[in-house]
Amino acid sequence: MSLPGPVALVFMTCSLPLSFAAEARPCTGAGAALADAELVAQLQQGNEAAFRTLVGRYQDRIYRTAFSLLRSAEEAEDVAQEVFVEVYQTVGQFRGTAALSTWLYRLATSRALQHRRRSAAKKRFAYFTSLLGFDNRVLHDPPDHAHPQALLEGQQALHSLLAHIGRLPSQQQVAFTLRHEQELSYEEIAAVLHTSTAAVESLLFRARQTLRRHLQAPSRHG
Amino acid sequence: MAKPVFRPGSDEEWEALLHQLRQQPLVQPRPFFYARVQGRLTAAPRPAAGLLGWVRRPAYVALLGLLGLAMSGDGVVLPPAATQPASPQARLRAH
Repeated sequence: MSLPGPVALVFMTCSLPLSFAAEARPCTGAGAALADAELVAQLQQGNEAAFRTLVGRYQDRIYRTAFSLLRSAEEAEDVAQEVFVEVYQTVGQFRGTAALSTWLYRLATSRALQHRRRSAAKKRFAYFTSLLGFDNRVLHDPPDHAHPQALLEGQQALHSLLAHIGRLPSQQQVAFTLRHEQELSYEEIAAVLHTSTAAVESLLFRARQTLRRHLQAPSRHG
Repeated sequence: MAKPVFRPGSDEEWEALLHQLRQQPLVQPRPFFYARVQGRLTAAPRPAAGLLGWVRRPAYVALLGLLGLAMSGDGVVLPPAATQPASPQARLRAH
C-alpha cells in the first residue's frame, strides 16, 4: 500500500505495527493524534499489542503526573497501574470526544486525588485512635525520602515549594502541576479539568499567589 | 548557626524556582511496569457491561422482583370502592 507523502511520513514516525521500537519514536501534534486514534481503534477490537504500546507510550507521563500529586513512588505506581487497568476495561466506552492523552491525564489526576483523600482520611483515623489510646504508636509525618533532589544541600526552597504545592486546594494543585511539571498548555489543562482556559488561568494565578505568599513568609516551624 | 532560607521575593527568583521545579530529575516507574499492569489486569474482575451486569446479580433481581410485586399488588389489596365501608357521616345519615 502506498501513501501520499505527508501521511506516509506520519505513519513512518508514529504508526503501528505495535512494538516497543515504535514507542521509542516520539509522536507530536497531528501525528500523535492520528497514531492515538489508530491505537484506540485497535484496542477497542481487543488487540493486546495495542495495549502494550499504549502503556509503553504513556506510562512515564502518567506515573510522573501521579508522582507530582502524591510525592510517593509507591502510590504513584499504584495509581498508574489503576489508570491502565481502567483504560483496558473501559476503552469500549471511549468515544474520542477528547484526546487519548486528555483522558489518561484526567484518570491519573482524579485517581491520584482519590488516593490523597483516602490517605488523609487514614491519617485522621490513626490520629483519633491514638487520642483514644487504641494504639501506642508515635504519630509523625513520614520523612520525605521520595524526592532525591530535595535532599541535596541548597534545595530547601524547592523542598519547601513542593510541600506548599501539596497543600494547595485540589484543582489548583492539579493545574499547577500539569502546567509547571508536566508542561501542558492551558488548553490541555482546561480539557483535563473539564473547564475553560480562563478558569485555568484563574486557578494558576491563585496557586502562584498562595505559593509566593507562603514561601515569602517566615516558617513558623523554624 | 541556622542556614539562611531562600525566599523568592522578586519575580526573577520566583521564575528561577519554577525553572528548578521543571528541571527535577525525571522519575520513572520501576522496570517491567507492563508486566505488573498485566498481572493486575488478570487479578481484577472485569466490570460487567451495562444492564446485563445488573441482571446477573441475583440479589438485585430478587429485590427488583419484590418491589414489582409490592407495587403491582395495590389494586388487589384495596377493596373496590363499592364494597368499601361507609364513612362515619354516611352511617349517621342512615340512622
